[in-house]
Amino acid sequence: MLIFTLRRFSLFFFTMLLLTILSFSLSFLFPGEQLVNLTGQINASPEQLAALAYEYQQQASLLTQYFSYINHLFHGDMGYSMTSHLPIMTEILNRLPATVELTCVALLLAMFVGIPVGFCAAIYHRKAADNIILAIAMIGYSIPVFWLGILVILVFSIQLGWLPSAGQISLLFEIPHITGLQLIDILLSDSEYKWQAFQDATRHLILPVIVVALAPATIFMRLARSAMLEVLDTHYIKAAKAKGLTFSQIIYRHAMRNAVIKVIRDVGLQFAHLITIAMVTEVIFSWPGIGRWLIESIYQRDYTAIQGGLIVLSTFIFIVHIIIDFVYAALNPLAREPNNGT
Amino acid sequence: MARDKIYLEEEFPTPLMQLWHNFKEPPVVLIGFGCFLFLIALAVLASVITPYSSVENHLDHLLLPPAWSDEGNVSFLLGTDNLGRDMLSRLMHGTSLTFGLSIIVVMVSLVIGVIIGSLSALTSGIKSSVLNHFLDVILSIPSLLLAIIIVAILGPGLENTLWAIIMVLIPQFVHITRNAVTEEFAKDYVLASRLDGASSIRILRYSIFPNIIEKLISQATLAQSAAILEIAALGFLGLGAPIPMPEWGAMLANGIDLFYIAPWTVYLPGLAILFSVIATNLVGEGMRHALKVRKEH
Repeated sequence: MLIFTLRRFSLFFFTMLLLTILSFSLSFLFPGEQLVNLTGQINASPEQLAALAYEYQQQASLLTQYFSYINHLFHGDMGYSMTSHLPIMTEILNRLPATVELTCVALLLAMFVGIPVGFCAAIYHRKAADNIILAIAMIGYSIPVFWLGILVILVFSIQLGWLPSAGQISLLFEIPHITGLQLIDILLSDSEYKWQAFQDATRHLILPVIVVALAPATIFMRLARSAMLEVLDTHYIKAAKAKGLTFSQIIYRHAMRNAVIKVIRDVGLQFAHLITIAMVTEVIFSWPGIGRWLIESIYQRDYTAIQGGLIVLSTFIFIVHIIIDFVYAALNPLAREPNNGT
Repeated sequence: MARDKIYLEEEFPTPLMQLWHNFKEPPVVLIGFGCFLFLIALAVLASVITPYSSVENHLDHLLLPPAWSDEGNVSFLLGTDNLGRDMLSRLMHGTSLTFGLSIIVVMVSLVIGVIIGSLSALTSGIKSSVLNHFLDVILSIPSLLLAIIIVAILGPGLENTLWAIIMVLIPQFVHITRNAVTEEFAKDYVLASRLDGASSIRILRYSIFPNIIEKLISQATLAQSAAILEIAALGFLGLGAPIPMPEWGAMLANGIDLFYIAPWTVYLPGLAILFSVIATNLVGEGMRHALKVRKEH
């Protein structure tokens, strides 16, 4: 387990190294002055610029410049937004929790719906249920997410009027900012309308979460189906059958656990895909998250914001990736211990 | 009983022919393949067979519903948009933009990715380890974010988004080529030709590529459905094709404001995207199924 942890951390370190190099080189690649792109100070006077150049060690070699950039990053200084003139760090801290909330709820929903349905498809392999599930899965991951978002808004918020179509919570409620995660903040707050606020926030969450979760859920269906088929084909299942276990006993006690492990290994890879979908969904549902902020900052040519967003969003993905790796290792002894005698 | 073959000669179909034999088995896949060919034909012939040009305004027929509704006009089969442009012609022109360009994008990134991937499979040690990690990092950045960064560097516009999508797709092809080539290199038939004195490049060209081409094609179909969605998404966000162009994503973005009065300006481009992605995915599905069948025999 120790070696496993060390390997993951060395991978994380290497990844962060590459990411920071990438984001540092972006400041050269973006149009305009490199120092201005790095710090976001577009209205700085020549004296201020000279001070900044000294601070970022512009006269020294590229390597020193890079290290001073890293130093700034470690102190939480990502420069200032070119449009709002607020520190990028503040902007991101205001918006990241909304994205974390949306994507994590969507990931859980996708897993809890997709994996059991996929198992069903595998159990009814080559029967009508299997074909129907496969057809739904095909449509689910082919549907363009922006189109789906618009259709869902039209049907459920405009025509039926069941659910709100934009934002994270109704403006009537005032929720103090504690963790940034809306649902947790509401539960922590001591407002007398806590329960109403919680209901309202949940109602706002339903449509975007469904839109984000649909495509990953269908991918989990297919992964779960093929994992289950693979497991049902193994010798230990045959042995269990030969012992006279009933079909449900085999599925619940033996097949399901081993199939879930196989699916969990691939969840991390799907998370980057889920973030892409979430970015577009945030634009459609006016969700105050980091994806919408990034897409807006490209309209406004806010290059400092794009660099900061790249680092924070990718770090978030890597952290989720590593957490899922640890869950996988905790569930599967084969992954964490060296194989003996094989 | 007639004997159509006098000499019992055994035939060995090439890997591609075998693939085709297994591929055409399931009827669903054949339907998908038919739709795929239809879209290609439409993309090539769009400018010849469309009734109107994609930007021609019919100012006396603004926001005309499709012909099957009561107010429809049969000379505008799928209705018109807010500037009186014929939807059918725009959708057909859009096929050559969204669908046709996605094929070109995938081909370019396939070629570049295969070259880099096979070169990296021939190297080993620290160089390949660094490349591997680099690819892992790139693959785990969300594709839209990567595309946005490249568009930020190059500036918005259809051509720049195409370059962005090419660069986003390359790592996938590098990854799959690298794995496939390394896997094949460990096999005995490669060792045989190596003992015959063939150089690495020759082995790649004559022994390995014919055997991994179907894996590459199956990856290409996956990449193509991603490319269609990405071109449309960037067009929808206003970073790709400019609004007057009949690119499906841009058409959809154009129709949003009128969604409630003229829903067909939104659902038709969406359906077109859905149709082309499903056709591509069906072809890919058939390809993977054929590969699996061949592996089992």
